[in-house]
Amino acid sequence: MQRRTFLTLCAVGGTAASGGLLWNALRDDPLADRPVRPPSPASVASVPAGYSRSYAQIIEAAKQEGVLSIYSATDAREVAALLADFRSLYPGISVEYADLNSTEIYSRFIAEVAAREGTADFLWSSAMDLQIKLVNDGYAQAYASPEKPALPDSAVWKNEAYGTTAEPIVFAYNKRLMPAGDVPHSHAELTALLQRKPDFYRDKITSYNPEKSGVGFLYITQDAQVTGDTWDFVRALGPTAPKLYTSTGAMMERVVSGESLLAFNMIGSYALERSSKDPSVGVILPNDYTLVMSRIALIPADARHPNAAKLFLDFLLSKRGQEHLRARHMRSIRSDVAAPEGVDEIPQDTREIRVGPALLANLDQETRLRFLRRWRDTLGAKGAA
Amino acid sequence: MNRNLRIALIVAAAIAILAPIGLVIWQSFLDGPFFARNIHLSLNAFRFVFNDPAFYKALGNSALISTGMTLIAVPIGALLALLLVRTDLPGVRWLEPLMLAPMFISSIVLAFGFVVAFGPVGFVSLWVKDLIGFIPWNLYSKTSLILLAGLTHVPHVYIYASTALRSLGSDVEDAARATGAGPFRTALTVSLPMIMPSLLYAAVLVFFLGFELFGLPLILADPQGVQVLATYLYGLTNVLGVPSYQLMAVVVIVIIAIALPLVFLQRRLLQNANRYISVKGKASQSRPLRIGAWKWPAFVFIALWLLITVVAPVGALLMRAFVSSWGEGVDIGQVLTLNNFRELSEYPNVIRGIINTLLLAVVGGAAAVGVYTLLNFATHRWPTKWSAALDYLVLLPRAMPGIIAGLAIFWVFLFFPPLQPFRQTLLAMWFAYMLVWMAYGMRLVSASLLQIAPELEEAGRVVGASAGRVSRELTLPLIRAGLIGSWLLLFVTFVREYSTGVYLLSPGTEVIGSLLVSLWATGGVDLVVTLSVLNIAMVCSGLLLLAAFGKKKNG
Repeated sequence: MQRRTFLTLCAVGGTAASGGLLWNALRDDPLADRPVRPPSPASVASVPAGYSRSYAQIIEAAKQEGVLSIYSATDAREVAALLADFRSLYPGISVEYADLNSTEIYSRFIAEVAAREGTADFLWSSAMDLQIKLVNDGYAQAYASPEKPALPDSAVWKNEAYGTTAEPIVFAYNKRLMPAGDVPHSHAELTALLQRKPDFYRDKITSYNPEKSGVGFLYITQDAQVTGDTWDFVRALGPTAPKLYTSTGAMMERVVSGESLLAFNMIGSYALERSSKDPSVGVILPNDYTLVMSRIALIPADARHPNAAKLFLDFLLSKRGQEHLRARHMRSIRSDVAAPEGVDEIPQDTREIRVGPALLANLDQETRLRFLRRWRDTLGAKGAA
Repeated sequence: MNRNLRIALIVAAAIAILAPIGLVIWQSFLDGPFFARNIHLSLNAFRFVFNDPAFYKALGNSALISTGMTLIAVPIGALLALLLVRTDLPGVRWLEPLMLAPMFISSIVLAFGFVVAFGPVGFVSLWVKDLIGFIPWNLYSKTSLILLAGLTHVPHVYIYASTALRSLGSDVEDAARATGAGPFRTALTVSLPMIMPSLLYAAVLVFFLGFELFGLPLILADPQGVQVLATYLYGLTNVLGVPSYQLMAVVVIVIIAIALPLVFLQRRLLQNANRYISVKGKASQSRPLRIGAWKWPAFVFIALWLLITVVAPVGALLMRAFVSSWGEGVDIGQVLTLNNFRELSEYPNVIRGIINTLLLAVVGGAAAVGVYTLLNFATHRWPTKWSAALDYLVLLPRAMPGIIAGLAIFWVFLFFPPLQPFRQTLLAMWFAYMLVWMAYGMRLVSASLLQIAPELEEAGRVVGASAGRVSRELTLPLIRAGLIGSWLLLFVTFVREYSTGVYLLSPGTEVIGSLLVSLWATGGVDLVVTLSVLNIAMVCSGLLLLAAFGKKKNG
């Protein structure tokens, strides 16, 4: 008897929970597959201001294609508004957005191309080196975007790889628990802090594991290129036994809870997004230098809907598209779009990771293994695990 | 079933299993992706892995953890099954759905639940710290990892043991009691030995699961640099910059090499399986053992296990889903919010993911049980080389961590033309799930089949029924309880599966697992937890509806 009552209660509870979510989603889901209010004829498929008149041909061809398939490492949630806006501009194109991690994008893409079975029309990923490798290996097609003049030179390579954001690499720290006097404002201050208080910060520092995370490897090697002091930092880091993760989410969560006090080399947009929801997260753009990464977009040579992909690339790079990214804390690659909320001042000395062949050095096996060996040795130099 | 049909079924299963495995083995002998141009045969991948000190450390850790967790999970699982199924322990029957909870939750999320509960700033830890001034455990030690791995695998043992105990007539126990044996002596010398085959299956399986353990070590050990085979394999994705399939393939081969002797061992142990036949021609009503005052320590024991393994982590996850922040110095009253659920509902494709997941779990789970039953019948009472081969085969897919299995199956669907049209459908996803969980499902069904005495089937044949008719009308109904149990387990497993489908998903075939994976990577642990809580609620309601339905039908 007791059992049946319990069963019924649980069942009702579970169903109610799912039902509630369903209801909420049906009501609010901005991406539900119902038509957005009919756009005015003027806005439909008209050539954007400043583009040449021949652009109408691309629009026409894209409408014929009717589909756009995107593989992306950016959360579907982050781009919901962007995609909705794109759909309202070009209602004839149905957008399929597959949200994968950067390794999966790469693996899936090269296999699909090899099988000649059709693949995505647009690849958009924060793994800058993998994207550049795809371009270098001849997987991308060239397209001179009309938005190119608005972009810095460092953001475009061969008209095939386009940097779409300029996101600072930051420190995130726990405002609740980290002593205010300790908060470092530069890489040098962070090194000094760890040298001064290794015991206090034992188990309390976190970052990407460069041995297991592609972006983690990219950022720490960029650090080492900017300044040789990076190795002093790694040496100071060793005795604090840092916790090294592969998942941004796991890392931010540790900072939120106070299990870790500071995370270095975080992607700015994630840290800012979190600090906008949770006042206990602080974000520092180091003022000696700030690395700036970019999500790279490319249109595969094998794209089945290349014109739709071109429309999307142009839209993504346009002021209108970039405003959507800014709203989700991804700093714009364009100078005519303001910095996202939470970034009061952009430090003077930014080091943009160039969208170009220099990134290929990252993928050279010997260089890579040598760097990782040095990282391990330096980290372990003072008896850290 | 006639010989030809049996062989046809076994061959079909072999092709389905060996296609992805074969690809992986082939891959291990190449110097690049097997589909790339300009690749050569090479042993470099083996050289790299076998010269890597980290590999041996990971292997050692895996062996240690597997052994430890088997020693913990098997006795506790058997004891819990005995207490819950065979004794008159009061008021705990409704605990059974709770018992299975660790299986409801993907291991990464459960591990995260342990962090929120027992981590350095976890809810339980802070409470204990308030009470006695310090935290007497370190969640990130190897001991904790082994303990938690053992405790969370108790349900695996429990399921096998309880299924076997349920179909065990109580006549043998009654006989023991009648001749004066106490309840413990009866349990130890009569009931437990009768379910030995199930326990051995479970033990070997849990030991093997230890080698492919991923979620717990990823969360609890990897950040400190302690690796096990599966996390080492995961790291190989990145060590050379581009995914190095050949290196990962070598590790998969190592895990396969560990699995094969285990199956051999299992077969040797069970050579005399008909000693354990318990469902015979004469059935009798099963009566619970009376355990008297012993019920109190038993009760405390169950409660303690539940508290550590289920209540604390799930409670912590539940709470995490309703707060915006947590940890040291946070007043929970101040941070309560429904925002996480609101944000989740804004996430594109969440509803489609839920529907697909349910479809895959309910219909796909039933279909998978069908496949496993068919395969079991193909080898049932047919002691030939063919049957032996199948025994070895079914464990192979398990040797690949879900994400690798998913990748290999993705390759099969991509490069094998007849399958290409199905690549972007739920069918491909179902196929992957069915294959990856074959070892579990096959064992569940066969555990029930082993208990059917041959004379029942022989009687059927004597009165003139065909072999097929005996299977359909005699054996199948007898193992119905076992089949429903297997379906339940697979439903649960399919709902919480997360990594296998990553490569196979396409627009329209999203599942909750794939959403979890992408959220986990890019920052939304709050949403991961919220989605998991919802996932748990789904599994819970499904299980309970089914349990209520089943009870009504029987009663």
